[in-house]
Amino acid sequence: MSTATLDSHKVGHHGDAHGHDHDHHGNFITKYIFSTDHKMISKQYLLTGIIMGCFGMGMSLLFRLQLAWPNETFPILETLLGKWAPDGKLDPNFYMALVTIHGTIMVFYVLTAGLSGTFSNLLIPLQVGARDMASPFMNMLSYWFFFLSSVVLMSSFFVETGPASSGWTVYPPLSALPKAMPGSGLGTTLWLVAIVLFIVSALLGGVNYISTVLNMRTKGMSMNRLPLTIWAFFLTAVLGLLSFPVLLGAGLLLIFDRSFGTSFYLSDIHLNGVGALSNSGGSPVLYQHLFWFLGHPEVYIILMPALGISSEVISTNARKPIFGYTAMIISLIGISFLSFIVWGHHMFITGMNPFLGTMFMYVTLIIAVPSAVKTFNYLATLWKGNIKFTPAMMFAIGLVSLFISGGLTGIYLGNAALDIQLHDSYFVVAHFHLVMGSAAIFGMFAGIYHWYPKMYGRMMNKTLGSLHFWLTFISAYLVFFPMHFMGLAGVPRRYYEFSLIPEFGIWMDVNVLITVSALLGGVAQLLFLYNFFYSMYFGEKATKNPWLSNTLEWSTELEHIHGNWVGEIPTVYRGPHEYSRPDRELDYFPQYEKGNGEPEHYHAPATAPDTSYDGKKEKASTVFFSSFAHLFAMRRA
Amino acid sequence: MNTFLKLTLKFTLAVVILFSTASLFSDSIDISNLKVEQLSAEKPFFGADEYKYEPGKMDTPETQLSSRINWAIIIFSVLMVLVLANAFDISKYTAKITGRETVNSNNVNKWIMLFFMIIGFIAVIWEYKNHGKHILLNNSSSEHGVNYDSMFTITLVLTTIVFFITQFLLFMFSFNYSYKEGRKALYYAHNNRLEIIWTIIPAIVLTVLVLRGHMTWRSVVYAEELNKGKIRSIEVFAYQFGWKARYAGDDGILGEHDYKFISGKNELGLAYGPEVDSLLASLKIELKSEEQALKVLKTATLANLKHQLDSADGIKNYKMMESIQQSIDDINDGTAEDDIKASIKRKIKQIERIEAIKKHSDMLKSKAAMDDIIVQEIHLAKDSLVTFNFRSKDIIHSAWLPHFRAQMNVVPGMPTKFTFRPTKTTAEAKKEFGEEFEFYLYCNKICGVSHYNMKIKVVVESQAEVDAWLSTQQPAFIKRPVAPASSTPAIMVSDSTAMPAAAVDTTKKLAIR
Repeated sequence: MSTATLDSHKVGHHGDAHGHDHDHHGNFITKYIFSTDHKMISKQYLLTGIIMGCFGMGMSLLFRLQLAWPNETFPILETLLGKWAPDGKLDPNFYMALVTIHGTIMVFYVLTAGLSGTFSNLLIPLQVGARDMASPFMNMLSYWFFFLSSVVLMSSFFVETGPASSGWTVYPPLSALPKAMPGSGLGTTLWLVAIVLFIVSALLGGVNYISTVLNMRTKGMSMNRLPLTIWAFFLTAVLGLLSFPVLLGAGLLLIFDRSFGTSFYLSDIHLNGVGALSNSGGSPVLYQHLFWFLGHPEVYIILMPALGISSEVISTNARKPIFGYTAMIISLIGISFLSFIVWGHHMFITGMNPFLGTMFMYVTLIIAVPSAVKTFNYLATLWKGNIKFTPAMMFAIGLVSLFISGGLTGIYLGNAALDIQLHDSYFVVAHFHLVMGSAAIFGMFAGIYHWYPKMYGRMMNKTLGSLHFWLTFISAYLVFFPMHFMGLAGVPRRYYEFSLIPEFGIWMDVNVLITVSALLGGVAQLLFLYNFFYSMYFGEKATKNPWLSNTLEWSTELEHIHGNWVGEIPTVYRGPHEYSRPDRELDYFPQYEKGNGEPEHYHAPATAPDTSYDGKKEKASTVFFSSFAHLFAMRRA
Repeated sequence: MNTFLKLTLKFTLAVVILFSTASLFSDSIDISNLKVEQLSAEKPFFGADEYKYEPGKMDTPETQLSSRINWAIIIFSVLMVLVLANAFDISKYTAKITGRETVNSNNVNKWIMLFFMIIGFIAVIWEYKNHGKHILLNNSSSEHGVNYDSMFTITLVLTTIVFFITQFLLFMFSFNYSYKEGRKALYYAHNNRLEIIWTIIPAIVLTVLVLRGHMTWRSVVYAEELNKGKIRSIEVFAYQFGWKARYAGDDGILGEHDYKFISGKNELGLAYGPEVDSLLASLKIELKSEEQALKVLKTATLANLKHQLDSADGIKNYKMMESIQQSIDDINDGTAEDDIKASIKRKIKQIERIEAIKKHSDMLKSKAAMDDIIVQEIHLAKDSLVTFNFRSKDIIHSAWLPHFRAQMNVVPGMPTKFTFRPTKTTAEAKKEFGEEFEFYLYCNKICGVSHYNMKIKVVVESQAEVDAWLSTQQPAFIKRPVAPASSTPAIMVSDSTAMPAAAVDTTKKLAIR
């Protein structure tokens, strides 16, 4: 795609009314509400995501209160929730609803739309060098479908029978039969409508991201010069595009079963207070297959953008090229491909053919290999770096730590034999909250702190940021680590209280610990909110390239203009991670800087000692292993 | 203006935080007094099967310790916030005055990284030690569980090693290579040899784990096929919210069943002719009355409801008025009519299908279901294989027996099963886990409001004891002449002398099945 075409595209849109792009100021509605500018849409996504995140986190705190102090009453709950918390004690039906909507909000609204929506929108055009998305109008539609979907989902709290409450996976028959559970009435209908709208939004967004990355890269921006963020967003969009329609299908069939008397998922059911249903021949397991065909790629739809962001943040702040750029891309592609054929590991004991279980176990454990490669590459990137602990960097390091902790337990759960015992226990809760919940949220925070100057032209407070990081990090571990042991001791998830089973008495004080830590985590998020909104107006003014980064987005003006660059889009001369090159004075080398004929990658001469670090000359082949000795000797540089 | 806004913002935030924490922790929660005893529930919800709660042995020192830990966390974090905020605030002002930075935040964070790692590792080890002793490992009560436990141990050891090494490297690199003015990082973009090494090593380790997992998985899920003819079968039936088990009667055969036969007297829907006939008859009567109700819905019923509304109004019973008004609304907007019509349609279908079964199949002519024994407690014989055949009445449940390392979903319309061999009697398990210990089968798939209270007791004992217990249970559709267990010892004696022969007989018949 040549710059000329891009320019004509730009002129076609705005050239008539205004002479220059940066003069473009619509009225309030076109600028802030129905904006087609990708930067504004990204902010809209972010704000909606943060608001939904507050709801999601608030819900988790509510049900954590119930789990920690099942016999206490909290009068404030009745004031807040009315009939859902009679006498200040959570109603068991509402507990289920909270668990369900917490899951839905966090998985879809915060970590899919809030994370991928925000940063794909912000970074894809800026980092590939495009004036805007391939179809700005579709992009706007994507956001508004998402917004509508959020409103529909939240409105289910005002329904007489309550919101959907059959778990975020809404397995039929429970979710299909209003008489089986109050939440399966209108609440589930609204849930399904919200999800259908959400899928429309995700597909509109995904098509846009893919076509922008493939077609609108600036001159010199070949695929192997793309920042890893863009690779992650691109593959995420591909995953979403291929898997969300399957969830749409599953949802539509469920709507048919609920409203039009079909029997896709229903068979041989005799319901209390209703009698024998006429439905016959359907299979609840079919729904699970369809659901998890999205559900598993969804895990990577959540995680990969976070990994992409952390790659970029770690490379920038460690002042080092990301170790094994190609290996990182191959790992991402491998994870994307494999994620489509491992969905059955959520269903080992659903009664599907045990032979399938074997197959799914094999592919699931294969997926651990690219994940391990990514982890080691992060470690190698930090090694002998010059690490600046910006809040973004710390969140990225936290992500790696959580990704390790949560990822390792995946080895247990991916193993069909071990899953017999661990399925649906607290071990699973611990696993996925660490590896895709906390890790992805940390990626999102890393992104927010890193690109805040790009979004709002101001810096966030660094001290508050560090404080936010440490409190969140500590609370994440305190909340989720003990859950492993609960699960291993045989505590099932989604239980309203454990006092009816005497054996679980020993976990009561652990439940209190978890809740206290979760409240601590909640307070930490208040620090973030304060920092976020305060800095928007009173933060320190940002410079053009505050992190001394290489990528293209930092070449734009601080003030947001429609079309991103004044004049021509810069040309790209090299990869995104050329930090600390020995042949350069400065420790960074922007992609858009022409340089003085340096090679694209720095290669040390074969004869000379090729690395210098801390003023010492060392041989590259020995450095890695010798560094272990340095570490143990605590060599202070 | 800006300063004023800043101050107001800070002030409101402080007030909000202060008040919310104060209200949370002052009157509602008193962590220090929380004891396990207080957790007994007086009333289980919504007709779930009732079990008396007996508090477990109180672990007083541990409880106190953990409540102290909770307080320590709260206090520590509050202090940390205050101290750090003030330190940085002060450093900011001194920096402004003196013109140079007094606190290097990069250094502070680097040291916190190190402390976090050290304290984190200590905490992890503490967790392994203190909470690790409660986990179900190396104390399996089933045969395959031993295999499971050894596999779990291998995975646990491997992942723990990897956990410590990688986390150590992560935090040590962070600590060791933090920013220093004038230092340049090492330009080190890739090394194929290293990358190949750390691709191949995980691949090999995972291959080993997968193969081991494959073998264990096979031996568990194909246990029935691998041990043909030596297995006792029982049926485990799940419903909202409880479990029932069905044993074969004297004939050694579990009778057939169909969900359409379920009625008040035939809770499991067994194929027993007379019972199904009476269900048919009552369905037809209900059908008639529903048709009748449909006719008078808009006339007599409505008038009656309005009359009731007036009388409720007379005694000012607003709750009753509300529900009556709801019924009137339902009639007026047609939902009541739709409901009755749907119910009629459903019943017609049910009658049609039952009659088709009667006509075309021998199912209802069989007497196999007559003597089946339906019980509220599962009794298993030690050291003999048993297959649980699962059936769900309504929605998906999951039967989890954590101490036997056994779990299988219970899916409506799809038979599932799990085969295992218990190796510890309840009495033996009590010695190991404490006097109050009982084996339970829990529900482990979200199934509705009382999901958390859906369990059935499992008792493991000797084969003779199981048979003795069975002989005291009433069969589903025939009256057995024997008296229940609590009767006079004379009968018990005669019973137990007859037992061995009968037991052998039953086992033989089961073997045929």
